[in-house]
Amino acid sequence: MKRAFARRFALAASAGMLLSIWGFPVLWALLTSFKTERDVLAYPPKILFEPSLAAYRDVLFGASSIVPNLVSSIILSLGATLLTLLVAVPAGYALARLGLPAKRTSGFYVLATQMLPPVGLIIPYYLVLQKVGALDTYVGLIVIYLTFSLPFAIWLLVSYFEDIPREMEEAALLDRAGRLRTLWYVILPQVRGGIAVTIVFVFLNAWNEFLFAVVLGGNRVRPVTVAMFNFISVEQTRWASLAAGAMVAMGPVMLLGLIAQKHIVKGLTVGAVKGGGRR
Amino acid sequence: MKERAGSVALRNIVKRHGTLTVLKGVDLDIRPGEFFALLGPSGSGKTTTLRILAGLESHDEGSVILDGRDVTGSEPGERDVAMVFQSYALYPHMSVYDNIAFPLRMVKTPSADLDRAVRESAARVKIGHLLERKPGQLSGGQQQRCALARAIVRKPTLFLLDEPLSNLDAKLRLETRVELRKLQRALGVTAVYVTHDQEEAMTIADRLAVFMDGNVVQVGTPEEVFRKPASVDVATFLGSPPMNLLPARLAGRDVVIEGHRVSLAVDHGRERDVLLGVQPSRIEIGSDGIPAQVDLLEQLGDSVIVDLALGSTRVRAKLPERTRLAEGAGVHLRFDPADVHLFDPATRKRIGD
Repeated sequence: MKRAFARRFALAASAGMLLSIWGFPVLWALLTSFKTERDVLAYPPKILFEPSLAAYRDVLFGASSIVPNLVSSIILSLGATLLTLLVAVPAGYALARLGLPAKRTSGFYVLATQMLPPVGLIIPYYLVLQKVGALDTYVGLIVIYLTFSLPFAIWLLVSYFEDIPREMEEAALLDRAGRLRTLWYVILPQVRGGIAVTIVFVFLNAWNEFLFAVVLGGNRVRPVTVAMFNFISVEQTRWASLAAGAMVAMGPVMLLGLIAQKHIVKGLTVGAVKGGGRR
Repeated sequence: MKERAGSVALRNIVKRHGTLTVLKGVDLDIRPGEFFALLGPSGSGKTTTLRILAGLESHDEGSVILDGRDVTGSEPGERDVAMVFQSYALYPHMSVYDNIAFPLRMVKTPSADLDRAVRESAARVKIGHLLERKPGQLSGGQQQRCALARAIVRKPTLFLLDEPLSNLDAKLRLETRVELRKLQRALGVTAVYVTHDQEEAMTIADRLAVFMDGNVVQVGTPEEVFRKPASVDVATFLGSPPMNLLPARLAGRDVVIEGHRVSLAVDHGRERDVLLGVQPSRIEIGSDGIPAQVDLLEQLGDSVIVDLALGSTRVRAKLPERTRLAEGAGVHLRFDPADVHLFDPATRKRIGD
């Protein structure tokens, strides 16, 4: 009894500690977003202050509104996510079912693309996009995002497809479902977890991406991450606006996380217990 | 009366995997309404044959004929064939109801007919009360029934079963075996059943084909195959324990085993070496006959398996459990000449009859 309680207490304490380490900056940004720019710079920092919505008014409706940038971010993230799924799902299925000799090697290639420091690719990407006239276009930036997300998504989905026994497909074929309906009714519902993980992963990466967006984007394509950076300038840094912008930008991804949470937890445990994640 | 549908003919089926020939020219004729077992050790080609029948696997030579129609090369869905897989292959994300309904939905069955057919099939295999469950919430036996219901719901002309009982525990396997037989009779559908369990094949099948190393070595009723195994390999594969094989010398109406002369019922002609086969259950222990020594006794409850040393040869006899024997004791064994099988030691084929 006592030991069980001690154990639970220790677990709760360490969880609370981790949560506060993660939560402190978020909480700080939340508080800052309700301060006036004057209160932000007060020293010692004000814990008690008169809350103000000035910063939110500024980032939503003011001269430096980030709403167009939110739209930009949504186009980029949704575009990258949809295109990734459109290609990665059939590709992952094909790779899982075909006994390709280079499967393992290609798996390593996929991981290798994740090891590459993105900075090293900016200049070649810039030159390529310039040549094809795709600088500061949605298509250009989405294609760049795909070069990262697609290999990873395929690699992730292959493991989900491989988990589905071949006999399941054969049963569907004998049940006169045909190839396409077998994929749609029997295979895809069983990789829902993998698709959810892919969506969250690709969307998050595109949403939070800054480096490529700032270099390869421009006046037309300027996602919210880049726009927020403009609150930091040589003359002054508008901390409250920056914090309010961060809060607004966090919204969509938090929502996505909440919706996908169930699937993600399931998705991450697939393979730990054979078949456990699928049921 | 119109001839019942569901005849199957395989003509010289050859299947190769690279340099390995898995099926070496399989010929089979299965009659409408028959319960036909493909029996053989693992790797003998029985499952491959079934999959070729289903259209799930291609073959290199020969043709598959269902109901007089050559279906070689046609898709599995075009063959009007249902299959129960060893793993059941239930769709885990669908309820039992949806699993059973799936084959009907794929051919756009009207919903009233569909509902009736699903409930009828489920009732037939006694899972009518489980329709809302997911396969993951069923026991192994219930999953197996669900797979059966899915297979029978659309009334196929051919019913394929790939070791459907092998994932059940021993008691359930015996029960299901009987039910499966009754179900097949009631539906009047042709069933092809793959198993490596000779007892299962013997009890369930109208006729069976014994597969060895990519060939069909014998086709017949269970009794025919058991009574007259066509080769040494078939003889030693059937029966538990399998048939005893003793090197012997044939001389006219007699046969000489380890220096002991035994009279046979018929004259087999010229003198030569043979392998003499006799089922363990056909051996008797008595006061006269061929002398042997008891090595080991295995009690089975209702019977006892006796390991005997007959010179340099080992013989196993299955005797009534009340037989009182001591290990190490000297005994004499006898058998009826009618129970003797003779095989050619070189070709390993059956001699005579």
